[in-house]
Amino acid sequence: MSNSEHFANIMVQCFIDAVQNGVDLVPVVADSTSTAKIKPFVDAFPDRLVNVGIAEQVLVGTAAGLALAGKVAVTCNAAPFLISRANEQVKVDVCYNNTNVKLFGLNSGASYGPLASTHHSIDDISVMRGFGNIRIFAPSCPRECKQIIDYVIAEEGPAYIRMDGKALPELHDENYQFVAGEPSLLRSGKQVVICALGSVVHEAVAASDILKEQGIDVSVVNVSSIRPLNKQALAKMLGETKHIISVEEHNINGGLGSVVAEIMAEQGIVAKLVRLGIEDGGYAAAGDRPYTRKMLSIDSMGIVAVCQQLLQSEILNA
Amino acid sequence: MNPFKLEVEELERKARSVRRKIIKLNANSPAGGHTGADLSQVEIVTALYFRILNCAPDRLTDDTRDIYIQSKGHAVGGYYCCLAEAGYFPEAWLPTYQHNDSHLPGHPVRQKTPGVELNTGALGHGLPVAVGLALAAKRDASPRKVYVLTGDGELAEGSNWEAALVAAHYKLDNLIVINDKNNLQLAGSTESIMKTDPLDKKWQAFGFNVTQCDGNNVASVVETLEGLKAEGKPNVVIANTIKGAGVSFIAGRPEWHHRVPKGDEVELALKELSDV
Repeated sequence: MSNSEHFANIMVQCFIDAVQNGVDLVPVVADSTSTAKIKPFVDAFPDRLVNVGIAEQVLVGTAAGLALAGKVAVTCNAAPFLISRANEQVKVDVCYNNTNVKLFGLNSGASYGPLASTHHSIDDISVMRGFGNIRIFAPSCPRECKQIIDYVIAEEGPAYIRMDGKALPELHDENYQFVAGEPSLLRSGKQVVICALGSVVHEAVAASDILKEQGIDVSVVNVSSIRPLNKQALAKMLGETKHIISVEEHNINGGLGSVVAEIMAEQGIVAKLVRLGIEDGGYAAAGDRPYTRKMLSIDSMGIVAVCQQLLQSEILNA
Repeated sequence: MNPFKLEVEELERKARSVRRKIIKLNANSPAGGHTGADLSQVEIVTALYFRILNCAPDRLTDDTRDIYIQSKGHAVGGYYCCLAEAGYFPEAWLPTYQHNDSHLPGHPVRQKTPGVELNTGALGHGLPVAVGLALAAKRDASPRKVYVLTGDGELAEGSNWEAALVAAHYKLDNLIVINDKNNLQLAGSTESIMKTDPLDKKWQAFGFNVTQCDGNNVASVVETLEGLKAEGKPNVVIANTIKGAGVSFIAGRPEWHHRVPKGDEVELALKELSDV
């Protein structure tokens, strides 16, 4: 689509804008200059980038040290290596020490597709949810991505931003305003509520449009803010129907599916929940995005089929 | 500027006072302690806080202050005793070491204890963070120096060597790594578990300026730290120490890694550590 933008490009422009506005921001990469598409930043500020080589532990530790010295430290590397290799540095140096580090998990989920599971991060949200202090976001479209990045740069303290690895189209008009913690209702319907985060929000929106043509009326809720999260607001949206689906390019354990299940249980919402994502104990398939998503039923047609099955079973059980 | 600038003889007296505090602190702990590791680092930390560091209790928000990072976080008891001696927090806090909700938990927590610069305890974290601090100081043309104390068993953590590469690559000559080389770790001798020797050659190969000192001799520690040069290379001081130094029945004994003095041991140790 013509209005599609790659999140890394948006990220780099936000960094450039921040430094131009007087923010002492220092990007730290682990040989991940191309992953981060950081060249425009280096061209604008040749002496600012820190490259620690292929070494994720010192990537995060160095960022924490820079932050303790007053910098806004932003790490930019592939999410799988950040999350797994530098797990304890994220836990201790960033979260526990409460340092002003922003961790950008690039090409998250199964963005790397055919490069297989070493390169997939299907556990990043669950890992981050286990740590204290850190805010957790997963933007779904360019405007939201820019506003989330501007927000985390401006707010003191640790943040993790789950960044998809493909150019994604816009979902909002120019009046959109990101509010940390608030889930946003993108489509309003009565029969099913679909909650999604990150790039698969687009699959959910596409599914709702297909279902609408079939006379089926579903809501789509974008949960881009995992922490903070206004649970009451999300519960209100979930409470509108008896059928709820969570969609994520992440393990169904610990990610959005778990968040939704927890809120339903805590708020006493009685409904059928189907969690779509990487199944318990599984991995994402090694393949391109359409194939991987089809295998997991997190593409638009897979979501459509699950909605139809839910409503069909309701009729049969009535 | 260090607010004390003590001479060697005064530092020796301070070191004995810190050791006495370490004995009482650990004896009073409800959750054990790391007496041996606390004692091996005494001369190093005392020399830093009472002579070397450009830092003071009333300058903890000064951006140009020197930073000390206790990477061997389990030896926090010794660190606390030195910070208390130097006035970073009231000595009355020392008997609360490891008590519920104390200002002095069993590993350093900067949100709880004035003077603590970094939460550590998981090993191999101090040096990478110190690299970030030193790099920031370089970029800001700050006079700040960053000191980080590691154990020698701790050097098996690979993160140290990732950080060593970065320190040399970015020519961080404002970074001073001190290895408290007491040759013992949790389960026995470092030589038998995972030897680090020849440690000097390893650091040299990583691009460090390497110096050695007698880490339990204040004069040697001071002379070495004051003789370091900032000539485009990070510095490492291999401080040869004895775990449990200063108390005859603790020194060199691996069982004191996680033991604390009890009963008569307290009086015996304090007697050995008296000023007369």
